[in-house]
Amino acid sequence: MLKNKKTYLFFIIPGLFFYALFVVYPIFSAAQISLFKWNGIGEKVFVGFQNYIELFTNPILLGQFGNALKNSLIIFIMTACFMIPLQIIYAYMIYSKTRGSKLLQSIIFSPQFISTPVIVFIFTLLLDSNIGAINNFFSKIGLNFLVKPWLGLPSIGIYIVWLMISWAGFGVGMMYFIAAMNMISTDSLESAYLDGAGFWKRLLLIVVPQIRNTIFNLILISYITAMTIFDYSYILGGVSGGVDGSVDVMSLFFYRIAFGDNNPLGGNLSENSMGMGTTIAVSLFFIIFIVAVFQMILVFRKDDING
Amino acid sequence: MDRNKGYIEKIVNLIMWFSASFILFVLGYLVYNSFRSKSDVMTNTLGKPSGLSLDNYIKLFVNERFEKYFFNSLLILIFAVVLLIFLSSFVAYGLGRYRFRGNKILRVFFLIGMMFPIQLGIVPIFLMIKGIGLIDSYASVILILGTAISMPVLMLTEFFSQLPDEVYEAATLDGAGEFRIFFSIMFPMAQPVVFSVCLINSVNIWNQFFIPLIFLQTDTKKTVPQLVVKFTGNLFTNMDSALSASVLSTVPILILFIIFSKKVLSGFMGGAVKG
Repeated sequence: MLKNKKTYLFFIIPGLFFYALFVVYPIFSAAQISLFKWNGIGEKVFVGFQNYIELFTNPILLGQFGNALKNSLIIFIMTACFMIPLQIIYAYMIYSKTRGSKLLQSIIFSPQFISTPVIVFIFTLLLDSNIGAINNFFSKIGLNFLVKPWLGLPSIGIYIVWLMISWAGFGVGMMYFIAAMNMISTDSLESAYLDGAGFWKRLLLIVVPQIRNTIFNLILISYITAMTIFDYSYILGGVSGGVDGSVDVMSLFFYRIAFGDNNPLGGNLSENSMGMGTTIAVSLFFIIFIVAVFQMILVFRKDDING
Repeated sequence: MDRNKGYIEKIVNLIMWFSASFILFVLGYLVYNSFRSKSDVMTNTLGKPSGLSLDNYIKLFVNERFEKYFFNSLLILIFAVVLLIFLSSFVAYGLGRYRFRGNKILRVFFLIGMMFPIQLGIVPIFLMIKGIGLIDSYASVILILGTAISMPVLMLTEFFSQLPDEVYEAATLDGAGEFRIFFSIMFPMAQPVVFSVCLINSVNIWNQFFIPLIFLQTDTKKTVPQLVVKFTGNLFTNMDSALSASVLSTVPILILFIIFSKKVLSGFMGGAVKG
């Protein structure tokens, strides 16, 4: 067979076609739809940036937007401040072959394979006000003041969501850190051992600086996750995001406006479900994009400094 | 060489074992309750069980037709992963093997999907799927999940670019056609990366909730996670089915993971280093 120089086209075109159609085109189409007043069925009216103006001036929309953004940010901050440091410590322990490291690694990673509905259900079995194991345990040992409707307290709702996300996702981030640690040079660690450097000194002065980029990446990933996470809040609090939107997050706010009222077939049939839905989606993208760019600048500048 | 002698290491090690035991305890608690009757779990939560039986499982298959939902999930998983691997390995081979104008731009173009959240494009996708009459069909979910090829393309392109030229030359000397070279030599060589890609995406597709929620509406077409939500949404009447469905959708996968854990973890590591 003759070697055809254009053969590469046959390899690339099928993937390019589907990818362009289902991944790239919708992104631009969303930006375009956000300039219209439209519910997906009826008349499509061009309104320019009116949807954006309405999103940031309509008190109800802005209130829900602010609340969802605040909750998403809480999830992100809790993850960055508590989960990531713990993941690094655990990863370092497994990297330095602590006792039972293989088994620990597998067990801690295993919740990754459990689907979100089951995770929420497992936490219900533990935390529910009537049938929850924790309340039953407290009342059994006579600590009745600790018996609380843990899943129904609006003030801690979003922290419960964070707890579930952390329980399920802890292992993945840990694996990222282990993978990064496997690639750092062992010389400096060897000499630190010989110098008798303690646990924290080795971890903070030798390991952490060398996995710096992975840490930045994980912080960015957890930011994106916090902005796009949907399942937990939807399953726990329904379309409305719980009592007073206590577990509402950005992605659920988007879903509610675009597809709400349990009727995904035609949006919520309000006059502007698709227009306002895409407006929120585009705003969400910029909220992510700004931080992503900032992070890239940070990583590249640090690389420059270190030559 | 025992380098974990310090007392801090010992304490952290202990905390880690505590976390691991908590995970095992919670899973064990779920499995244990699935053998108890509904009223036993709800009214006698921590008490001595009145009896253990398989009734919850029998009910799940006889009354709720669990197998139907399981096959729905399986069907979506298989077709989506096959589509994903087929498209992405082809693209990656085209990008990694051939030098042509626009190669670099195309590589960046295929990364776009990783930078945008799925929520951004879902309204236009929804309208498009509605336009071609695929709402409420398996095909809609398969097409959406099977075409998100950014990460697979990145991982596989890197693999094909790094193969030394001699490998390609030796293959070409046989006189086989490009597609035969791809299928009989190159694709099998990429097997470890393909395994990584399959693994990461399978877990994601199997547990996918958002996309089926929007696109699958007829009850008999729904997936296992959707069925679990149907049960947990009304625990008073469906506690028994919620328990058995949760165990059946979780435990088989965890057993598979334990058996192949070494291979699976290194597969995820492969994704971690490149992703």
